[in-house]
Amino acid sequence: MSIWPEERVLPLERDGLNTVDMTINVGPQHPATHGVFRMVLTVDGEVVVDCEPYIGYLHRGLEKLTESADYRQAMGWWDRTDYLAGMCCEMAYCMAVEKMAGIEVPERAEYIRVMMAELSRINSHFMFLGAFGADVGSFGTSFIYAWRERERIYDFFEEVAGDRMFPTYFRPGGVQMDLPANCESRVRGLISSIRQGIEDFDGLLTGNEIFVERCQGLAPMTTERAINWGITGPILRATGLPWDVRKAEPYSVYDRLDFEIPTGKQGDIFDRYFVRLAEVYQSTRIVEQCLEQMPGGLVLNPDLPKTLRIDKGECYIRTEGTKGEYGVYAMARGGNKAYRMKLRSPSFSNLAALKEMVVGSYLADAIIILGSLDIVLGEVDK
Amino acid sequence: MSNAATTEEFPGVAALIHKHLPKAQFVASRTSNDVDIRTDPAHLIELVEGLKSRPELAFDYLRNVVGLDMEAEGLEVKYHFYSFAHNLHVQVSVPTPPGNPHVPTLTHLYAGADWHEREAAEMFGLVFDGHPNPKNLLLEEDLRIHPLLKAHPLQKVEILQGIEEPTPGFKF
Repeated sequence: MSIWPEERVLPLERDGLNTVDMTINVGPQHPATHGVFRMVLTVDGEVVVDCEPYIGYLHRGLEKLTESADYRQAMGWWDRTDYLAGMCCEMAYCMAVEKMAGIEVPERAEYIRVMMAELSRINSHFMFLGAFGADVGSFGTSFIYAWRERERIYDFFEEVAGDRMFPTYFRPGGVQMDLPANCESRVRGLISSIRQGIEDFDGLLTGNEIFVERCQGLAPMTTERAINWGITGPILRATGLPWDVRKAEPYSVYDRLDFEIPTGKQGDIFDRYFVRLAEVYQSTRIVEQCLEQMPGGLVLNPDLPKTLRIDKGECYIRTEGTKGEYGVYAMARGGNKAYRMKLRSPSFSNLAALKEMVVGSYLADAIIILGSLDIVLGEVDK
Repeated sequence: MSNAATTEEFPGVAALIHKHLPKAQFVASRTSNDVDIRTDPAHLIELVEGLKSRPELAFDYLRNVVGLDMEAEGLEVKYHFYSFAHNLHVQVSVPTPPGNPHVPTLTHLYAGADWHEREAAEMFGLVFDGHPNPKNLLLEEDLRIHPLLKAHPLQKVEILQGIEEPTPGFKF
């Protein structure tokens, strides 16, 4: 006799026992889903046999809104996509508008943009390190380590742009205003404290036996499968392919800067963690070089019209966001509004491959696998 | 002179594609930073299979799928491909005739096309023939509106509440 209605008991005879698959709903309000993400897992004992992801809980109609507003007005919505690194998103949006309108950006503004984008990247990667450490089990410590550095970066953003998370600092044609006078010493102090933070994480997690045992060899992804799914960013680099948009198709002034692309070997979760940790260090190198090479001059193109009108234009801008290729497809057909702006967000494509990684793993590991993807739901749901 | 005419007809990577896939039917042009290849839904699969499988091209990464509402000219789909082996990039445009927005799916070639196509389908009413799971992705499961169509009004709550007819002048 079963307590379940007859149709719910699957005719599975295993060792003479009637077994039944169980469905577990995770999210959308769940601390381990890093936002409003929901997945329905079907488990056979401890093993996940099916995973159905549901997204869209944070869908705000970004693309429709962008079509409804002036080119400059619409920019404010774009740093709410990847809200951990708003400056990277603003950069892609501004580059799309500039490409279509043929606007020149002063050299000083380019260096400021790259510097701020890299600080955003550090910010986002520290968020991953802190949250992922908490997922794996070092509950409070990694979070506090990450927040200490992030707080300093946010303080600097506030001083430069007037806002911490959504700075809206970039403009088509440059940036809103020049850096504050004491910027260089502030940034150098920031870099040394970030490097101390990297060492702290290295000491806390990289050699930690519990952490390594938990992560090594878990959910390995081959390069071929990753490419087929459209996975980019640290997850692709963890599989061993040194591909980074900043190197493969350089934009802004990245071709004048010297940095390396960290890669992993197996594409497992430990490699994804380690690639991100190494990328934080490379970003600090980029910020240092920006400070050294930054010329004087204007930060905003002075020849811009009051209302930006673009008669005709089409482009697909790709930048290296914090999670992978952050692309903006833009089309203009006259007027002061974009005809179409499409966001190709890295988290969206990375998350699509979740099912392949999770099916076959243990239920407890499914949460870590999701954490290792480092998704931002603002970017997935648009 | 003939050389100049050829570069005009097949700019950049389009010449390479024409060389290795001489049977593929397309019209090439340029956007601000890509070469655009225009083909029709009937020839899409043949072209993309060639782009992916020829080792000289090896476009193994589908980076983006864009749906477009060109109003009187019908809906359009744009694909952006990238080749890791040769660092090549190309944009493929597939216009569909008005009232018949059918495009074959690419999910059997690129696993990543799954969610991109579902998004384009729900936002524009495009139909990707052969898609294994053609459900809404970002919108509610039972919501039958296509909000990115130009005819769809911005912020019309009455449609979502079912009080007003969705998208005046457009058949669902």
